[in-house]
Amino acid sequence: MEFEWTEEQDAFRHKIRDFLVANLPDDWEKFSEHGPASPALTAFAREFCVKLAHAGILFPHWPVEMGGEGLGPWEQQILAEEMWIAGEPRGGQYMNVNWIGPTLEKYGTPEQKAQYLTPITQGKSLWCQGFSEPDAGSDLASLRTRATREGEVYRINGQKIWTSYAGLADTCFLLTRTSDDRKKGITILLVPMDTLGITVRQIPSLIGEGDIHEVFFDDVTVPVSARFGEEGQAWEIIAYSLRNERLGIPRFTLARAALNRAVEMLKARGGFASEAVRIEAARCMALCEAAGTANYAIVQKRVDGLAVGPESSSARYATVMAERAVVEFVVEFLPESLADASPYLKMHHQRGIVAGVASGAAEIQLNIIASEVLELPREPR
Amino acid sequence: MQLSLNEDQTQVLDFIDSLTRPYAGVPIHDVSFAMISAELDAELVEGGFLDVGSVLELGPVTAALVVEKLARLPFALEAAFSAIVRPAIDPELPRPLCLVRETELDKPVRFLAPGASVVVVGAQGVRSFTASADLIRDDGGESLYAYPVAFLTGLPAETRAHGIAPSEVERLWRVAVAAEASGLLAAALQSVVTYTSERKQFGRPIATFQALRHRMAEAQVVTNAAYWLAMKAAASESAADAAMALNYAQEAAKRVVYDYHQFLGGMGMTLEHPLHLWTYRLRLLTSELGGRGTNALAAASALWD
Repeated sequence: MEFEWTEEQDAFRHKIRDFLVANLPDDWEKFSEHGPASPALTAFAREFCVKLAHAGILFPHWPVEMGGEGLGPWEQQILAEEMWIAGEPRGGQYMNVNWIGPTLEKYGTPEQKAQYLTPITQGKSLWCQGFSEPDAGSDLASLRTRATREGEVYRINGQKIWTSYAGLADTCFLLTRTSDDRKKGITILLVPMDTLGITVRQIPSLIGEGDIHEVFFDDVTVPVSARFGEEGQAWEIIAYSLRNERLGIPRFTLARAALNRAVEMLKARGGFASEAVRIEAARCMALCEAAGTANYAIVQKRVDGLAVGPESSSARYATVMAERAVVEFVVEFLPESLADASPYLKMHHQRGIVAGVASGAAEIQLNIIASEVLELPREPR
Repeated sequence: MQLSLNEDQTQVLDFIDSLTRPYAGVPIHDVSFAMISAELDAELVEGGFLDVGSVLELGPVTAALVVEKLARLPFALEAAFSAIVRPAIDPELPRPLCLVRETELDKPVRFLAPGASVVVVGAQGVRSFTASADLIRDDGGESLYAYPVAFLTGLPAETRAHGIAPSEVERLWRVAVAAEASGLLAAALQSVVTYTSERKQFGRPIATFQALRHRMAEAQVVTNAAYWLAMKAAASESAADAAMALNYAQEAAKRVVYDYHQFLGGMGMTLEHPLHLWTYRLRLLTSELGGRGTNALAAASALWD
């Protein structure tokens, strides 16, 4: 076991950092108080991702045949960490390079690849993920947004909710129901967001403006060529996508950076002499490191070409524990950071509330650990 | 970054699996807290497993892996200090190895017995002596530890000084206890998983109730992370990593031990079920090096001062 980064990995990390220093504006920290899906950050990301593409660090982890550099999962991790610590200047485009691109490559028709991959690689497209519904959150397979085949089109009726980026996205990766079979009745449609009959309503949120939405589909029609994969193949495809995105956003890195920032501020004002503060700070850092090592153990499995299974839920939950602890530390000992004392800590605080909710609730992670890691007998349903 | 086991490590752990197989089951024991096995101890020494840390190609991570693995056994073994701390002080010190802080001489000392090497860590330095009967008060077999323990009644007039810095001994001490605790956490969890999956109430295994499932799943998260932090601390030679690994393991022990006995209901109160062999060891380890708060303070100093 070796817990140090290699020289090449360090060099890669520094390349990204240098790029960020050179390309983020001076008031970036203040600016990043805009949520990752806000109109302001989305507009910024449209220019920033084009620059990333030119610098070759938009999707360096993709295989060479997809135009990437074929760097491995460690480099994907490093890229994700540096971007997230910086407040995610890619906005919603991080999804493009993490899982939408690779999923298009594997399951898309030649026409779909031609239409969608190029703008992704140019840093010019924004997707949203039409998954959750009012009655299908953690129980995603109970979704009801209906797509009915009518000759050469699908007619879509239903509603999505909590959809990030929907207000400004070009395309929706939409889960629809095409038959009553719980999981095998779900079909993916790639739907341009300017299609007639789509209404997006912003939901005011704790994360920042423009972050989450309701999306209504009223008699929306798309050609059959918008179908992604076969009818009923959605569950298999999103399982594949999630394998690319199992760990999700490396939130533990921002938690750690925020904690270090908070300690600096406390030291500067003489508030870091208290043993109570020091004990709590160290406990928080241990939780961040715990999440880090648990996440890295999963990345290692990908590096080794092994299937990443339910143990990734353990890493996700460790991340939630770290995020929560740091949010609580900062508000307890530096409550002024929720005002204007530190834009960076304010940004972290806004985003921290998401850790246990987004990409599968923390309790769902515990269910997965109980059933599939510990192999406890299943709950009766 | 390379977190897989290498071939040597896999091989060492496989050897230990074969060697300890006869000792992995839990005999119905004679209502004692601590279980020890001189035969197992001798076999491990014979196989050189407690010396892997001194072997160049194997090193401290392999030693931590060995300690973690052995801690899962129902038998209490003095492996952690011998395998992880001893190479840095003097690889020839006779076992068992006991570590005590000069300021905490009243604490129970695990594996203390005549002939044991006692290393005393103080502000001035590190020294050792061989324990003799006149310096030891045993616990009369009545105490609530799942380790064999005894107490020091004093220090001998003559001790042997070692060149190593006290801070370095404490760093390795933390790594050793963190590695041992992570093995204990894993074994205790497995024991509870097995019992709650079999025990039925209301017509179904009690492990099907979410009140238990989520707490066991959370225990898996901290158990897994405790393992990785211990390994990282063994690898990195960082004082901060060592203090965080031990703080985390002690926090984890505090979080799970009481729960585990509760999950077992009446069986959790007995000496017939082996759970206490791991949990009561964990409990004692929560007091090592001043406990979790003190270790957090040590981490804070190493991280931020």
